[in-house]
Amino acid sequence: MAQKKRSTRSPQRRSGTKKRANQRPGFFRRLLPYVFLLGCIAAAVIAGYMVYLDGAVRAQFEGTRWTLPAKVYASPLELYAGLDLSRSEITARLDRQGYRASSSLSRGGTYRSSGGRLDIHTRPFKFWDGEQAAREIRLGFNSSGVSSLSAIDDKGDIALIRLDPLMIGSIYPKQGEDRILVKLGDVPPMLPAGLITVEDRDFMNHWGVSPKSIMRAAWANLRAGGVVQGGSTITQQLVKNFYLNNRQTLVRKAKEALMAILLDAHYSKPEILEAYLNEVYLGQDGGRAIHGFGLASYFYFQKPLEELQPQEIALLVAMIKGPSYYDPRRHPERATQRRNLVLDMFHDAGFLEDDSWREAKKAGLGVSARTVRSTSQYPAFIDLVRRQLLGQYKDADLTEEGLRVFTTLDPAVQAATEERVSKGLDQVEAARGIERDSLQASAVVTSVEGGRILALVGGRDAGFAGFNRALDARRPIGSLMKPVVYLTALAQPSKYNVITPLDDSALSVKLANGDTWRPQNYSKRTHGNAVPLHYALTHSYNLATSRLALDVGIPNVIDTLKSLGYNGDPLSVPSLALGAVDMAPLQVAQVYNTLAAGGYYTPLLAIRDVTTRDGEPLSRYPLKIKRAVDESPVYLTNWIMQRVARFGTGASMYDILPRSLNVAGKTGTTDDLRDSWFAGFAANRLAVVWVGRDDNKPAQLTGATGALQLWSRIMADIEPRGIMNVPPEDVVEVPLRMRFDPSRAGGEGAYGYDRDCSRTAQVPFVRGEVPDGLSSCDSDIMQENRYRRRQPPEQREQDDGNWLQKLFG
Amino acid sequence: MQRLPVFIAVLVLAGCATSQRTSFPPPEGPASPQSPAPERPQSQPGDQVGTPAPQTMPARTAAEASSPAVLSLMGRADTLARNGNMDMSAATLERALDLEPRNPFVYQRLASVKLAQGQTGQAEAMARKSNSVAGNNPFVRADNWQIIAEARRTGGDRSGADEAAGRASDYRSASQQLMR
Repeated sequence: MAQKKRSTRSPQRRSGTKKRANQRPGFFRRLLPYVFLLGCIAAAVIAGYMVYLDGAVRAQFEGTRWTLPAKVYASPLELYAGLDLSRSEITARLDRQGYRASSSLSRGGTYRSSGGRLDIHTRPFKFWDGEQAAREIRLGFNSSGVSSLSAIDDKGDIALIRLDPLMIGSIYPKQGEDRILVKLGDVPPMLPAGLITVEDRDFMNHWGVSPKSIMRAAWANLRAGGVVQGGSTITQQLVKNFYLNNRQTLVRKAKEALMAILLDAHYSKPEILEAYLNEVYLGQDGGRAIHGFGLASYFYFQKPLEELQPQEIALLVAMIKGPSYYDPRRHPERATQRRNLVLDMFHDAGFLEDDSWREAKKAGLGVSARTVRSTSQYPAFIDLVRRQLLGQYKDADLTEEGLRVFTTLDPAVQAATEERVSKGLDQVEAARGIERDSLQASAVVTSVEGGRILALVGGRDAGFAGFNRALDARRPIGSLMKPVVYLTALAQPSKYNVITPLDDSALSVKLANGDTWRPQNYSKRTHGNAVPLHYALTHSYNLATSRLALDVGIPNVIDTLKSLGYNGDPLSVPSLALGAVDMAPLQVAQVYNTLAAGGYYTPLLAIRDVTTRDGEPLSRYPLKIKRAVDESPVYLTNWIMQRVARFGTGASMYDILPRSLNVAGKTGTTDDLRDSWFAGFAANRLAVVWVGRDDNKPAQLTGATGALQLWSRIMADIEPRGIMNVPPEDVVEVPLRMRFDPSRAGGEGAYGYDRDCSRTAQVPFVRGEVPDGLSSCDSDIMQENRYRRRQPPEQREQDDGNWLQKLFG
Repeated sequence: MQRLPVFIAVLVLAGCATSQRTSFPPPEGPASPQSPAPERPQSQPGDQVGTPAPQTMPARTAAEASSPAVLSLMGRADTLARNGNMDMSAATLERALDLEPRNPFVYQRLASVKLAQGQTGQAEAMARKSNSVAGNNPFVRADNWQIIAEARRTGGDRSGADEAAGRASDYRSASQQLMR
């Protein structure tokens, strides 16, 4: 949109040359043609250079003026009646997103909290599935959270509404500029007015350079004996940022002035001002340069530019002079001083009323905490997002096209996970006398259903973008493998059920390479040849598990592992039963997520949608599910894993978690206590935690003393809902009193199930596979069981109708 | 959208053509959290075969088992699907699942959308997932097996379709008995 209305004004006007009187005509007369020629050449060169500069100026200004890094958003908070968040939890979230308390609620991004209610004026936002307009809503609360949602504007009823999502980062080149574009017409009028007042009073009238201010600066520099002041106009500053490096040489100055004049000749003042608003450098965030007021507003105040208050606008304008010197986070006093000076200038210029001026000067700086919106906040998660995108997009698309990436990250879950990982390691080190800061950890949290990754922590210092352990640290998983072995066995219900006696006596296996494999229990003891299957898993017995794995066949165990979502190719060796396979925490999360979702595999996702800068959909990542393994054996396996949590190696979680909460999980420990794992889940949350050392030396921790300590604290903080235990169609539950006692292992009565119907547990069996004569409490099941056992398998299928009739009859 | 009729047929079959927006019960049912104790005292099919014990009636429609928020999303998804916008309809249902991840009616609706999109594998998987979170709700299961039958028929699996249809009719008669 070149505007050429002022192209008549030639920048080359001042070309007057003084002529001197000829003193040696003969010599000069002969030289004259050469001088003339030289002059012509020089003029041609300069003209050519001007044309070149002009081209450069226009190309930059009109072409792809800026490369826009993709913007990454967290999952938005849905507000609705029934949401289990308290009023203070929601206001905390609002504060975090830069919402402002305001009794009038007159504009988007404000809220008002009174009398047990919370009124919110939401911001408009373009989601992947369309635009959501700003609304004024009212939330009511009861003891369990939001009890009502209603509209208080006149735009109709609503049942739910999304808050605008937190922007959690950008995908920018390694050392790159980041920005959010704004339009001049959309910014608060005080911003351009203030900019002109402070930076370039003559802006509306000059031709790109201001001789007046150059003189002033030159005088100042002369007196100081060096360059202390610049007489740059806004146009010159823009040119400097756009086209030139930062050296203050005379040649560069001249070039800058020339280009400023060209720019001013081609473009209107508003265009130049808008470009300046988007270009100006306003801070640094690690390798990311914060450019433009749009991004700076988020970077410092965590809210859109339109919502800034006078003192906030003044601070940003104040910082132009030296974003690092006046950094409000590092040098709050300096910044306040200069901000107040700028406020005075606003006031003197007449666009800040007396009252507002006084109020603004009293206000604090109001900058958000350093971590918010900084890309270094969620480096591990952003890393995962980038990897998932790189499969589909070119690097340049991601760093230049301004794509909008909507992710699954839940900021509250992420914050809790980060905090619990770092504090948890401190606690574990202190409690067990381990050298400080020697341990590392990583964690993954998913939503179970839908396979959404809610949080990802790649190391002890979650803000440090280093080695992403959640994705890249592959370690042996130890006993985390055991549930896969048991699931493989329980998938053969005619051979195995949860009370099948297993042999936990000493074992040695001759391997193909001639070695002998002699696994041992963690306690170095054996427990006889009749340990109930559930008990062996609950207490993580190695011998019973190894024998079970050899019985069902290691290749079958590998098949199960792959169906659950493991994408590697483990060696088919007996020690696989005890976890001789390296996995990253994210891979473990994938496997356990399938278990947690009842045998339904959903690929774990970090991204839900990608749109263009303008909101046009580019790619969706729709929910995909696959019935990976039969529900019934998964139900039995999860039932045992709940016993791991209640009575087994995971029991110490209930020091932290409420006893009413049903969760399932498994500890993992590897040789010489190098790796400490815990993987476990509630109905709506799954978390996998790894603790160990980067140098792979023994961490001196078991799954229970290390990872579980972090895991239970994370889980306690992320609103878990208990597992419901609704048996699938093919599972029946028999009340049994379980009283296996390993201390009497090998002796008479070491294992048995009371037929006393009191103090029983509901023990699940695959329908038709309940061992005969177990219980008198449930004669109908026993009867059905005997009946079905007499039928050949094909017959059983067809009988399903019959038992159904009975079931509901 | 040649599959639109299929979708609408399935919607009607699934008995979910209603989408009221007022006076719903509080959000409870299959989607609600927290079971109180580890050893579950509730009645289960296992300990009840043959004994028509007093039992709470399972939810017959989404309206009985879903919160107003989820119902509003389901209503929106239906509208989108009727207009042939299956992708957005599915996206809206996924949003409902975020709110109530174990609501069998939402999975069932997703299964119908997938069926209308011709994704028979996903349709069956969603319907089975719906079953897996439906508890012993014969109303939901009957409709899910009907969708599975439809999906298998579309996919060319005749005998599989017949078997599923058989299951659907078993559940349907079970639900009729329940209604008496």
